[in-house]
Amino acid sequence: MTSQTPVRPLPAAPATGQRPRPARWIWAWTALGACTILGILLVLIGYLVSGLAGGSVDWKEILTSGTWSPTHAAFGGLAMIYGSGLVCLLALAMAVPVSWAAAIALNEYLPPHLARPLRTSVELLAAVPSIVYGLIGIMAIRPLVSTLGAVPGGDSLLAAAIVLAVMITPTVVAVSVDALKAVPDRYRESAYALGLTRQEVVRAAVLPRARPAMRTGVLLGLARALGEAIAVYLVIGRADGRLPTTPGEFVDSLFQPGQTLTTKLAGPESMLAGTSGPHFAALCALGVVLLAAVAAATVLGTRADHASARDERLPVPRTTFTALRIQRDRVATALRLAALLLPTALLIAMLALLAARGTAAFDPGFWLSESVGSSGGGVRNQISGTLLFVVGTATAALPLGFAAGILLGVYGSSRLIRTLNVLTVVIGGVPTILLGLAGFVVLSTAMGWGKSWLAGVIVLVPVVVPVVALATAARIRGMPPELTESAKALGLTQAQYLRSVVVPYAWPATITGLLLGLARAAGETAPLLFTATVFSGAPGLPGGIVESPVQALPTHVFNLSQDSGDPQAVTQAWSSALVLVVITALLLTAAVVLRNRLEGKRWTSS
Amino acid sequence: MPRTGIFPAKESNRRKGGRRSLDRAPGTPLAHRVGIGCVAMLLAAGLAACADGEAGAGTMRVSGSTTVAPVATDASEVLREQGYDITVATDGGSAGAISQLGANQIDIAMSSKPFSDEDQAAHPDTDFHPTQIGADAVGVIIRSEVADAGVTNLTREQVQGIFEGTITNWSEVGGPDLGVFVYDKEPGRGTREVLDKYLYGEGEAPPPPDTDNFAIVGGNLETRSKVKSTAGAVAPLSTGFIDGHDDLVAVHLDGVSPDIENVASGDYPMTRPLYLITDGPPEGPLKDFIDYVLSDEGQAILPTHGYLGIHELGG
Repeated sequence: MTSQTPVRPLPAAPATGQRPRPARWIWAWTALGACTILGILLVLIGYLVSGLAGGSVDWKEILTSGTWSPTHAAFGGLAMIYGSGLVCLLALAMAVPVSWAAAIALNEYLPPHLARPLRTSVELLAAVPSIVYGLIGIMAIRPLVSTLGAVPGGDSLLAAAIVLAVMITPTVVAVSVDALKAVPDRYRESAYALGLTRQEVVRAAVLPRARPAMRTGVLLGLARALGEAIAVYLVIGRADGRLPTTPGEFVDSLFQPGQTLTTKLAGPESMLAGTSGPHFAALCALGVVLLAAVAAATVLGTRADHASARDERLPVPRTTFTALRIQRDRVATALRLAALLLPTALLIAMLALLAARGTAAFDPGFWLSESVGSSGGGVRNQISGTLLFVVGTATAALPLGFAAGILLGVYGSSRLIRTLNVLTVVIGGVPTILLGLAGFVVLSTAMGWGKSWLAGVIVLVPVVVPVVALATAARIRGMPPELTESAKALGLTQAQYLRSVVVPYAWPATITGLLLGLARAAGETAPLLFTATVFSGAPGLPGGIVESPVQALPTHVFNLSQDSGDPQAVTQAWSSALVLVVITALLLTAAVVLRNRLEGKRWTSS
Repeated sequence: MPRTGIFPAKESNRRKGGRRSLDRAPGTPLAHRVGIGCVAMLLAAGLAACADGEAGAGTMRVSGSTTVAPVATDASEVLREQGYDITVATDGGSAGAISQLGANQIDIAMSSKPFSDEDQAAHPDTDFHPTQIGADAVGVIIRSEVADAGVTNLTREQVQGIFEGTITNWSEVGGPDLGVFVYDKEPGRGTREVLDKYLYGEGEAPPPPDTDNFAIVGGNLETRSKVKSTAGAVAPLSTGFIDGHDDLVAVHLDGVSPDIENVASGDYPMTRPLYLITDGPPEGPLKDFIDYVLSDEGQAILPTHGYLGIHELGG
């Protein structure tokens, strides 16, 4: 093993080029990324298993009975499993076709000077915190469902599904656009050179190569839908024990209140159940069911990916039907551009609503002054608290998620790494309320931290890491093979290849992933409530770690919108929400501008 | 050895040779600097995690009922200017706060439900010391069109029938031919316990009905906005929350209206006390805080949130 490699540089090699450095740290770094994924999962499973061990769980009852009543020791979770499954499937059925069509329109049809601002807008839409979607759901979607189903109220499974569909659309679009962008232009050029129409080029040359990464986007969307608690919580009605038995009842049940696994966990029962006993064990069992559902969806999704990746020869498009090619192309163009209008219209409507309701946010004093009493003053300390969470989470999640993403992308064919990939998506789907409860039990209670900003950062890291890792990995999988081949031909070691080829190629997607992840983390309410924030009285910046809570914008909005009777509090809540959206939008815009410039420069994928 | 089992051995050998051959590469490329930065950040995060802050030592931690929270927040605002260090949070509601006080995670629990022997029994090591700071009336809230059409008074049996799902049309209680839509509060909410106590006394409430016209709500504001937007809706809600909302009406219960006199005299059946609870009799800053809420200045806060002070209770 002492043999010298034949590729020693010449002694007179010019020193101008940046020769790759040994970069052994790459291995420690990527290992750390992998350990993060495993560590998060171990802590979560440890929390759930210790909960299960604290009280006997009747699994048969959990999975087959629809009756849930802690006071009568009845713990049947079937109605909630039904609710979660139905709501997520409906949301995907509504969101995915529109999102994919919009992503194709954005990347393949629009000229770059239109596509870039629109892509930025889509990413901004992903930054709207879920609590805002919940408020809008109450205002706009409940009345819609009420009219559609001719039912009073409108709290229903369908309303929850629509809210979720609106919520996950930006995520799916953003990831799909990245996937399409990663398809090298030479495929398009060859296809156009053959005289294909635009629709045929997309179908035959672009989609087959982008599809695995686009499916990852759908999985991320599904994970977000399964894990979302607060927005669903406000519009689903939270009625236990609703199970249809006939097709007619099934249709009716769409328009009636129901319950999902996450809304049950986000409800007050999680606090009332304590940290041991049969009630707590049953709630932990629901958490396990939820994790299992995410895992099942993930395994199915990645298996389909793998099957298509193994078959190197892409499916030959059916070309027998050649009539009306131009007309079909026009129809496809119209449909895809129309699909693009939908997210755009949503963004404008949402901003208009926020601006109309949150008028106080236009006053600079609101940003710079402290809050007064229960519903007055400004939100200065809430802003600094939210920024602390964003910066802290980004600092920890960027290196860890990037490292894990490199492992997932480069070694995707290894069985071990495929498992890691599945685990990563599973963590991405872990309901944030579960992370919050785990943080409350492990950090705040067992370790005695009480309410601590660092506990908040730690429970937000698992929200961001999978998004960063999966976006990075998807980009690496779409990397042109000639880059790898050239690197190998130049005699680069694996570490040098990772550092000098993979990292620079992947990192624009890493930044997109980080932004999407942070946008989600910044708006998270559920995990912070129990671990890190208080309603009032915390300083702008904490003075320590233990017993050092802060205030944050999303929890502020949640408290104001749930619990205050003062009309001023409503304005205050919408204004705080607008401030949160503006802050994330500013962060995102700055980073997206940076990303767009770098992405164009490196490796010229566009 | 993190790479064991993941990467093929031959790559590991190649790496060894290749590394030496390129050792003297000049410059510090961007990616390398990023890497060093990442490591530095991780180290910083690790160090921070090891540091043991004591910032919270002197802080008074108040948490619990969302009904009491506005009062406590306003009071803490005044005391904070006098140098007290107070945080107010609302996770867990009344019941959650009592268990947090039992676990010594907070100093003062805010509660909007009657303090029960079961609460004490659940935490035998804690000497719960409730101090009543005021009272609140829970109303059975309906929309004005139902009230205008004849539903101004309900008996206990009628309220029970509505919330158990046996009365599903307002015409059954003298109102219009309109379906009833029930919004009940989630378990653990003080409001719901007050309603249960009125309907079932010391007995246990039955499980929620399996009917189509039944949904669960959480906070008071959520309850109000949903009742406002749902035809035929009914919900239990603090009467302070319908002040100034002409489209909502609190019905009379057994002929008694929820006005101040009836609440103060105790004639109105769904009245609840508002408490600040401490572990043992309040001392030091805790006593200062509770004394302030009980002072004339502190008591003046309660009516601004729609509640009754203890003086108005005649107590």
